[in-house]
Amino acid sequence: MSTARGYLAMTRAEIRLFRREPLSVVFVFAFPLMMMVLLAAVFGNQQSDATSVQNGMLVWRGVTPANYYTAASVAVIVAALGLMTLPISLAGYRERGILRRFHASSVPASTLVSAQLTLALMAFVAGTAVMAIVAHLAYQAMLPQDVLGVVVALLAGTAAFGAIGLLLATVIRTSRAALGIGLLLFFMLWLISGTAPPRAVLPAGLRDVGGVLPLAHLVTAVQDPWFGFGWSATDLAVLGAYAVAAGIPALWLFRWE
Amino acid sequence: MLFGRALNSVYAQLVSVITVDHLRKTYGRVVAVDDLSFDVEAGEIFGILGPNGAGKTTTVECLQGLRSPDSGVLRVLGLDPTSQGAQLRQRIGSQLQDSALPARMSVGESIELFSAFATQPVDSGELMSRWRLEDLRDQAFDGLSGGQRQRLFIALAFVNSPELVFLDELTQGLDPQARRSTWELIREIRDGGTTVVLVTHFMDEAEHLCDRIAVVDRGELVALDTPQGLIDALALPSIVRFTTSEPDLGWLSELDAVESMVRRGDQVDIRGTGPVLALVASELVAHGIVPLDLRVDRPTVEDAFLALTERHIRT
Repeated sequence: MSTARGYLAMTRAEIRLFRREPLSVVFVFAFPLMMMVLLAAVFGNQQSDATSVQNGMLVWRGVTPANYYTAASVAVIVAALGLMTLPISLAGYRERGILRRFHASSVPASTLVSAQLTLALMAFVAGTAVMAIVAHLAYQAMLPQDVLGVVVALLAGTAAFGAIGLLLATVIRTSRAALGIGLLLFFMLWLISGTAPPRAVLPAGLRDVGGVLPLAHLVTAVQDPWFGFGWSATDLAVLGAYAVAAGIPALWLFRWE
Repeated sequence: MLFGRALNSVYAQLVSVITVDHLRKTYGRVVAVDDLSFDVEAGEIFGILGPNGAGKTTTVECLQGLRSPDSGVLRVLGLDPTSQGAQLRQRIGSQLQDSALPARMSVGESIELFSAFATQPVDSGELMSRWRLEDLRDQAFDGLSGGQRQRLFIALAFVNSPELVFLDELTQGLDPQARRSTWELIREIRDGGTTVVLVTHFMDEAEHLCDRIAVVDRGELVALDTPQGLIDALALPSIVRFTTSEPDLGWLSELDAVESMVRRGDQVDIRGTGPVLALVASELVAHGIVPLDLRVDRPTVEDAFLALTERHIRT
């Protein structure tokens, strides 16, 4: 009973803190939304683009660029939370002795982690809704065709990027270092995962690297149900594998100070 | 004889809230705590006094299960802090050195958050008024002064109605007035039945507040007694001071209690032990000298502490 109470209190506290932190609001909400609006404005919303092919791939996966970026930018929210918000806040907590304080007051590590992940999920749901509505109003982009499929993809993405974020938070000592490393990873992934230029236009080498990393899989895992292409089992499986591969060492290595 | 010893040990278990038996903790090659043993009794304010780096904080962190000792047996409220730490921390309160709260969390929110993890939370309104935090309710942690943070951390230590509290550098950053009122509140809490373990390097705090003091130096226990007991055991000299224009006071040196006499002009300082003040006073009166400013500086815990740690360095 007291664990449920603690979890709710911690989640509520984390939501308040998240709202007060400009960095997370910028990267989680403003940046993906702005990129969606700008990229859709650059590449347009012509039906004729839907069938364009480059390097033997459909450049826009069979939909218009505006639709393509709406779903892809949702994945960017997940990456921003996992690669930046989560490690920066947890590394900062450890660095400043906040984790010590929590530990001494019998706050379980699992409560701390699950509150962070709940916060991430809520941010995705809110960010996704805003993204879908803005894209729909601005470009008549389609709303998610298969809402459950999109939710499942977001859950898989939360698991994968949440685990990566936790792992980063355990190995990085300070929140400044977490910010630097997080920004680096975030922009690298953003550029080669089909969230900025579509993967079809990338050189083969970069495309292969991007194909191994989790964000490209999250993009297709979200896009497929969004466009009504069904669920992408392979991408979901890869995200699950990332969650396990990063999550186990992250929990193993977790330190209060 | 054997029976008596068994009875003693049962008695010790009943009244001891903490038993530390041959505690040792090292960080790499640095020995933080070396073979430390002591008991803390129920309902006392127990001080752990020592210079910086003496192993005080390490000791209380081990007692709270925040660090694992290398060796030694610890018992806190009947539990083993190393293996039953989570269970133990439900029943103890803790004010840590070098800790913080999220920068943008307000005072009211932090009390609400920590209450949620307490099995027996106290009334938060009462807690905030006791530690004068009501006016700071909506202040973010980052905007608090050092003293305000300290009061918040002390309040958080009591959020779960603890049976035992650890206060590490209780009055760090508090102004003199806040220190006095904090001491008063800690005494009230002790009188309410809570056992208090106080880590400090402030001598006056140990002297005024503690029922018993463990003096530790370089990870070892140097002495353990009441504040007065520490002073008495060392038989430290008192200094009797007065002024007189009387040129020859040689006869005062004849007194057994007098160790030495220093004179600068009219100012006379006499070092001595035992009832030196009474003996000097009566002798002065007998010689027709009645100084208005006759006074004695009795040895303090600070003198005892310096003597103990100095002796420890020499041995």
